[in-house]
Amino acid sequence: MPLLIDRQLVNDDSWQLVEEADALPQSGDLLLPLALYNELAGNLAGRRVALRINGDDELSSVLEALERFPMIAIEFPIFRDGRGFSLARMLRRAGYQGELRAVGNPARDQLGYLERCGFNAFQFADEAFSEEFLNAFGEISVRYQGSSDDPRPVYLQNQQN
Amino acid sequence: MYIYNEVDQKIVDERVAQFRDQTRRFLAGELSDDEFLALRLMNGLYIQRHAPMLRVAIPYGLISSVQLRKLAHIARTYDKGYGHITTRTNIQFNWPKLEEVPDILAELAQVQMHAIQTSGNCIRNTTTDPFAGVTPDELEDPRPWCEIIRQWSTLHPEFAYLPRKFKIAVTGSPRDRAASQVHDIGLHLVQNAAGETGFEVLVGGGLGRTPVIGKQIRPFLAKQDLLSYLEAILRVYNLKGRRDNKYKARIKILVEAMGIDAFRDEVEAEWEQIRSSELTLTDAEIARVKGFFQPFEYDASAAADTSLQQKLESDTDFRTWYERNTHAHKVAGYRSVVVSLKPQLQPAGDITDLQLEVVADLAEQYSFGEARSTHEQNLVLADVKNADLYAVWQQLAEHNMARPNIGTLTDMIVCPGFDFCALANAKTLNIAEQINQAFDDLDYLYDLGDIRLNMSGCINACGHHHIGNIGILGVDKKGEDWYQITIGGSDREDASLGKVLGRSVAADEVADTLKKILETYVEQRTDEESFLDCVRRVGVDPFKEKVYAAAH
Repeated sequence: MPLLIDRQLVNDDSWQLVEEADALPQSGDLLLPLALYNELAGNLAGRRVALRINGDDELSSVLEALERFPMIAIEFPIFRDGRGFSLARMLRRAGYQGELRAVGNPARDQLGYLERCGFNAFQFADEAFSEEFLNAFGEISVRYQGSSDDPRPVYLQNQQN
Repeated sequence: MYIYNEVDQKIVDERVAQFRDQTRRFLAGELSDDEFLALRLMNGLYIQRHAPMLRVAIPYGLISSVQLRKLAHIARTYDKGYGHITTRTNIQFNWPKLEEVPDILAELAQVQMHAIQTSGNCIRNTTTDPFAGVTPDELEDPRPWCEIIRQWSTLHPEFAYLPRKFKIAVTGSPRDRAASQVHDIGLHLVQNAAGETGFEVLVGGGLGRTPVIGKQIRPFLAKQDLLSYLEAILRVYNLKGRRDNKYKARIKILVEAMGIDAFRDEVEAEWEQIRSSELTLTDAEIARVKGFFQPFEYDASAAADTSLQQKLESDTDFRTWYERNTHAHKVAGYRSVVVSLKPQLQPAGDITDLQLEVVADLAEQYSFGEARSTHEQNLVLADVKNADLYAVWQQLAEHNMARPNIGTLTDMIVCPGFDFCALANAKTLNIAEQINQAFDDLDYLYDLGDIRLNMSGCINACGHHHIGNIGILGVDKKGEDWYQITIGGSDREDASLGKVLGRSVAADEVADTLKKILETYVEQRTDEESFLDCVRRVGVDPFKEKVYAAAH
């Protein structure tokens, strides 16, 4: 599945998505849905673990252990479900520094907003990706309000430039 | 008014280019219907019964002569020569071609206009009092706050895919002329005990299928905290609002489900996280924006005019218009003029290219080059000298914009209905015409006094029928148009939802039913009692008895 990280097309993705406890591989990097992670947390010592979360998840346990996860994937189940935008901002606000990846159905015309909300990685279905997507990031080059990319509103940006 | 700087201009220019590319990709089959739907809606573009409909933003209803002329040009060049003023104080064009919409947006950008967020599940045009800044009963001009909200909400990256649309209104006067209590957020400029000005914040109002009056979430919010508080409300809504059913997705449903106290707790907890951040407005920024809304250089000699009095005494038609269609101004010697878009024979709120140009000229010559649009679907020339009122009236009358009916029964809010709208269940324009014909006696209308009549062609309530003193809702019964009537609603500071009178009436009985309702009012009223006060005092029953007894 095509993956963009920091506006670059990336070929290798080490994260293995595991959705059931008995399917846990013995080695390698794990990508676990939050519920499964909570279930297995005691058995994961020494493993590199990424989380997959969605708008129905309760974030408080994640916020308490952010440094545990080099990558957090936020699901976009359908185009119009915008909860992931807020989830990303809350994670970045809490100081999360790792990779924040939009998965599921992020769309080309959402990439600019997603990046502004703190996402730096985007994963697409094979048929849903085109290299032309990279053009989407630069379409709107100025912004009024602060966000995760730059917390300053436009009037403070101007003052310091 | 607010004047664009380089950043503002760049945003609209880049947005035009972005939408041009989205349209190109859609027409080339590279963009799915579903994705283009959400994207075009965020740019005001609907697909309607006959053609696309493009809704152009008039931020908080304020528009210049130059912009009015551009709208006239667009109506003439890309449409069938007219536009329609909406209850969000925007203007919509009913006949553009999809492939020409990017060109229309480029024309708009030339005069600092756009169609950004005039539809879709995002933060819509913020509305306010059409007499903002000039009305004597005002605590503070709300327009700088509307502009601050406009900038914060425009292309906000987090709130473009909300559960449903989101509407904010701001008022600066204790008299509510912006229907603020039926908005997702209503902001009222108020003073606290210490004499500081800030905002009372209401949340969870709205119309549609489930009409709700907004609830107070905060009695007083300091001005500098405005955006952080709005952002906290929006974030809680974006995360918790229902997404499984579009008819249960507005914030009003969330607030009702959680209860206002639990909702407030969530918002305040989120606010604690962000209230001491770059969202806090600086004094310098507030002052900068207020600088765009300073009072005009009014003519100090305007109050000395005696010609107005002479004309009022000598010309009865002019006096009638003056009494109904002008509003007090805080500066002596000036009045605000309501341009009636409720003539006898045209749809409420429609305005032709020529009329747009006439208003542009009048604004330029007599009202500092600005006009306003109102949520009642009229226009306002806010700053006209007493000595100029007669000339303004003559011009408006010549172009069918001086019907002296403002605030009366025929100053109706009417959605376009089945004739244009793909959502509508019933026609509205024919019913409005029937009412206009039945109530053409001005003396009778004046005797009835202020009556707000609102009509919607379906339950989505774009015509605000729930909050009309009289509301009419078109319903479809086995392929026929029927009309349900409510009475006792109000969109003012005493906001209330109308009560259903009884079973719906057939299309050809609407005006007769209104006559019976109004006869009942005339029988029941005490001296000086308005229709609304009378309904509130005596209840629905006397009206119901009269309407349905006679129908046997």
